[in-house]
Amino acid sequence: MRADVAEAQMAQAATIARDAPIAHRSARRKRPFLSILRYSTLLIAAIFFLFPIFWIVVMSFKLPSDYLTRPPVWIPNEPTLNHYRTVMETKGWAALENSVVIATSATALSLIAGTLAAYSLARLNTGGKHFAFWLLSQRMMPPVVLIVPYFLMLIDIGEHVSFLGLDQRGSLIAIYTVFNLPFIIWLMRSYFDGVPLELEESAMVDGSTRIGVFLKIALPLALPGLIATGTFAFIFSWTEFLFAVVLTRTNAVTLPVAIAGFSGSQGSNWGQASALAVVATAPIFVLSLLVQRHFVRGLTLGAVRG
Amino acid sequence: MSREPGHWDKEAFAKLVQSRIDRRALIKGTAGAAAGAFVAPPLFNAFTPSAVSAAQRALQETQDSAEAAVAAAQQFSGSTLNVVWEDALQLEDQINFSGPMWEELTGITINPIGRPFPELFSSQVAEHIGQTGAYDVLSVVPAWTADFLAQGMLEPLQPFIDQYMNVADLDDYHPLYREMMNFGGQIYALFDDGDTIILYYRKDLFEDPANMEEFEAANGFPLAVPTTWDQYEAIQAYFTEKGGGETWGGASQRAPGQVYGWFSEEFRNRGGHFFNEETMDATLDSEAGMTTLSAMLERNKTMPTGVETWGFVEVLSAWMAGTLAMVGGTWPPYGRWSEGTTVEQLNWVPETQVAGKVGYSIMPLGHSLHNAGFNLGISTNSPNKEAAYLYSQWLTSPSISLQRVMLPYALRDPYRISHYESEEYRARWGNANEYLDTLRAAADTCLLDIVMPGSNEYHVALDNLVTAAQGGASVEEALAQGTTAFNEITDRIGRESQTEAYQQFIALKGAYYE
Amino acid sequence: MWRRDPFPPPRRRGGTRARPRVDTGVDPGEMDETVEFVAAPDPMQRTNISKPSGPSFSGRNRRDGWVLVFPALLLILAMGVYPLLYSLFLAFHQWDLQTPATPFIGLDNFRAALNDDRLWSALKNTWVIVIVGICFEFIIGLGLALLLVDLPRLKRFVVPIFILPVMMVPIVVGLTWRMLWDNQYGAINHVLRMIFGDGLNIIWLGQTNTAIIAMIITQIWQWTPFMFVVLLAAISAVSPDLYEAAALDGANFWNTLKDITLPSIRHIIAVAILFRGLDAFKIFDLVYIFTQGSPGTTTETASWYIYRLGFQFFRMGYASAISYLILIMLSIVATIYVAAFIREGGKA
Repeated sequence: MRADVAEAQMAQAATIARDAPIAHRSARRKRPFLSILRYSTLLIAAIFFLFPIFWIVVMSFKLPSDYLTRPPVWIPNEPTLNHYRTVMETKGWAALENSVVIATSATALSLIAGTLAAYSLARLNTGGKHFAFWLLSQRMMPPVVLIVPYFLMLIDIGEHVSFLGLDQRGSLIAIYTVFNLPFIIWLMRSYFDGVPLELEESAMVDGSTRIGVFLKIALPLALPGLIATGTFAFIFSWTEFLFAVVLTRTNAVTLPVAIAGFSGSQGSNWGQASALAVVATAPIFVLSLLVQRHFVRGLTLGAVRG
Repeated sequence: MSREPGHWDKEAFAKLVQSRIDRRALIKGTAGAAAGAFVAPPLFNAFTPSAVSAAQRALQETQDSAEAAVAAAQQFSGSTLNVVWEDALQLEDQINFSGPMWEELTGITINPIGRPFPELFSSQVAEHIGQTGAYDVLSVVPAWTADFLAQGMLEPLQPFIDQYMNVADLDDYHPLYREMMNFGGQIYALFDDGDTIILYYRKDLFEDPANMEEFEAANGFPLAVPTTWDQYEAIQAYFTEKGGGETWGGASQRAPGQVYGWFSEEFRNRGGHFFNEETMDATLDSEAGMTTLSAMLERNKTMPTGVETWGFVEVLSAWMAGTLAMVGGTWPPYGRWSEGTTVEQLNWVPETQVAGKVGYSIMPLGHSLHNAGFNLGISTNSPNKEAAYLYSQWLTSPSISLQRVMLPYALRDPYRISHYESEEYRARWGNANEYLDTLRAAADTCLLDIVMPGSNEYHVALDNLVTAAQGGASVEEALAQGTTAFNEITDRIGRESQTEAYQQFIALKGAYYE
Repeated sequence: MWRRDPFPPPRRRGGTRARPRVDTGVDPGEMDETVEFVAAPDPMQRTNISKPSGPSFSGRNRRDGWVLVFPALLLILAMGVYPLLYSLFLAFHQWDLQTPATPFIGLDNFRAALNDDRLWSALKNTWVIVIVGICFEFIIGLGLALLLVDLPRLKRFVVPIFILPVMMVPIVVGLTWRMLWDNQYGAINHVLRMIFGDGLNIIWLGQTNTAIIAMIITQIWQWTPFMFVVLLAAISAVSPDLYEAAALDGANFWNTLKDITLPSIRHIIAVAILFRGLDAFKIFDLVYIFTQGSPGTTTETASWYIYRLGFQFFRMGYASAISYLILIMLSIVATIYVAAFIREGGKA
């Protein structure tokens, strides 16, 4: 193993008596064999997690003759951009646009409504424990219970309000907003709980309104939380499939639905499907890398805040 | 619903609205549709006089329905037609050929909407339930007609035909396909895709003297196009053994979704019946059922490994790459594509290694199945019924449809006598005439998909029973499951109404031959 | 074995952070990301409630509170509660493709559902996938977390990589793995053949048992990182004092794991499993792309069966009834689970 790591570990062992030991490790010096085992296990895990991603990216560049081959083609000799071009032209751009609009709107709306509600719960204990619990329990609802009523409801609503009918973006935006709300309220309330009360109290004593305090003090301090929860909301809205496939036909088709369309019976074009899949996945990857720090925090916070 | 005020049949309209209200409000309604009496949609009767006269003039001069349609359609120039179609390859016809051509001729924009085949049925029904009028031209698999009509989805076409079509064109249809346009004596759609399954085989392999000698010595009968499944199995096993894992004797589609067709065909060829006529009990677990399912599983063993997950693409790829001696039944496009496909749309199809080597035949035991196929129907919710009809007439007219069934990348297959007899088509490749003759002969003796209310569900149940057996269930178990599923569907829809519907089905030529 | 109070040290107000005092040359600031959550207060004890004095304030507070909550509440009532009630209404009626009328039929749908073998089979499949999946996700996630918990530098590098599967669109995961599971052309069988020889011929998605296994493995692939991250953060935050004392007492690896680590993070484990369980129960995308329920109906899950009933056969009344039964079942299970594992708080 590398020298500097070995050295650090030795230093650790030496300071154990004086300082708190590294979490969950016995005080004995680590054996090199175990270390090799540890690193190779991690390496295997990394390969395991990365390989399918690698596969689909590579598939999107493969010539059709390379799809169904035995043995599989790992790296294509003649990568091609054709699939990207074709699939984006035929249904990619439309689906991408829909996904972007729907996910962004749903995230924004749910952040606004959710953060307001979360603040209310955190600071003012609105409705008490039971109300909070009821709100949060909405998250436990399995979505499949709602697809049939949504389908029929949207038919009716669509006759009166055009952007809320079947196959309209507005419907999906509304639905995703509602589905994101419990989670956002949940997380943001924890964040608000972590914001010191004194700042707000003194501001209010100084004459500021509740809303002012909210906007100028609480919100900025809870910004990391907003980022984390916003990212979650966006990811959910971007990747959701069940409602999208049931409630859209052509107009509001999102990326997941467009991708699923490739698994039809006559003529499965793996290359184009992969290209569209990469297009669908890349933004989420980038987004999660950007907000990595807050994201991990949010992930764990959400888990704790049972 | 038509959005043209004053042109609607008020009474029928009221009836239709009432039935929708009943459904929506979920109040205790009247007893459902009486046995066999489907909700009759209101008749469209607001023909545009100028269009009609233009068409009539064209018919007088040329007797060409295509010309008539184009002439009449000038009146609707500038409008848009939403055409729902099977996605991917089938759609290419609309996107690359028919759509642009029609637009040029008439100024009517075609908006093709592709749906994956498994979604096609539900999409159209859901759209109709939603009453959004989003589709003008519908793609109706003939087996679905009963269910579509129960929803009042299809516009009766006789009035349109009277105004616009050269009726001789109807006689140009192969009688089987002509029949598929009707239901209960009324014509509801124009047929557009002759999906008769036939057997493909490698002439070069079959006519190779060395093969012939070896085969006959081993099996006791000559190597020739199989007419029974036992012969088929022997031939397939022979070539698979010779192939040593690189090539095989044959393959068929076995993946879930469409495998029911192969069972449905062989089952009936062996004398099986779906139901007991009197009691309406399902009889899938008869001896014919057992034999069919066991034989299918047995044949899987000499097909490429993993064939249980092979769909259209996999079988096609293997065939085009020259690794199969036969294809145990598939749709007509194979014939065209085997001879070479050099178009952009098909660049995922392997380059053909079998051009000029292909022979064609009706399926073993004598009756091919017409699996799926497409009718073009007019949605009762369409705001553009006349224009939608004219487009359909144009698409299916002898002159235009001939071009469409010859397209190198399309999946539309011959269905008119004029297609089968076309000089141009028959000369397209070496034995194209054999191809067309086989398709015609197959249609002559063809079996039909189940045409009854709930046909979609029955087919899914058949599909499930085959995949269950392929997945590990015993033949008895799988057939028992299928039978139970069938009975459950029958009971739910109503034994009496289904008994009557079954009688109607049996009366069709092609329901059963034994 | 000795035991200490397994619950983390007393709550601290927001702003202060737990810092393990370790000299590894790692910037403590980086540790914060994975550690900070411990500092947040127990949700069951509200300490940050704004309580300005005076009756006028509390009245104003209450009104303000409801105003702020109003948008979210309205949305949830309109799009969450109302459809639920509508669904219940539907469940009592017959709503079929083949019959235009929709009469009231009382409990018939529910009765039919309870007798529906296919439904029971779908439920069984779903539970199998959920439980087996979660077990493996937990074990593997825990293992990986333990391997990484004391390698902070590597952790920073590895976590973004490991977390990628969670970021993937589930449909894309399905598409990719479907290609990988292919019998002839898939990479998995290729690798297996390299190990076990050319005769290997598992038709993963075509045989009943292997299809479910394939789905479970795919799920495990996608969601183990979730468990991993949660557990990693949780373990990292366990108070070092406990380990110190354990080390002094001569505890070895397993004892530490069993008696300190796991009990300390018990609460988090319980919540994470609840999360994953509820999520996993919804499994739909994979069924859609892999098998559509085949072979036969052996890979049908609850969501898939409802989808098939409602949107391919259009039996909407029946589908609603089944949805309700599932909702009730899940509510009961979740309530029991929460009561047993989460609400109990600091019991030893």
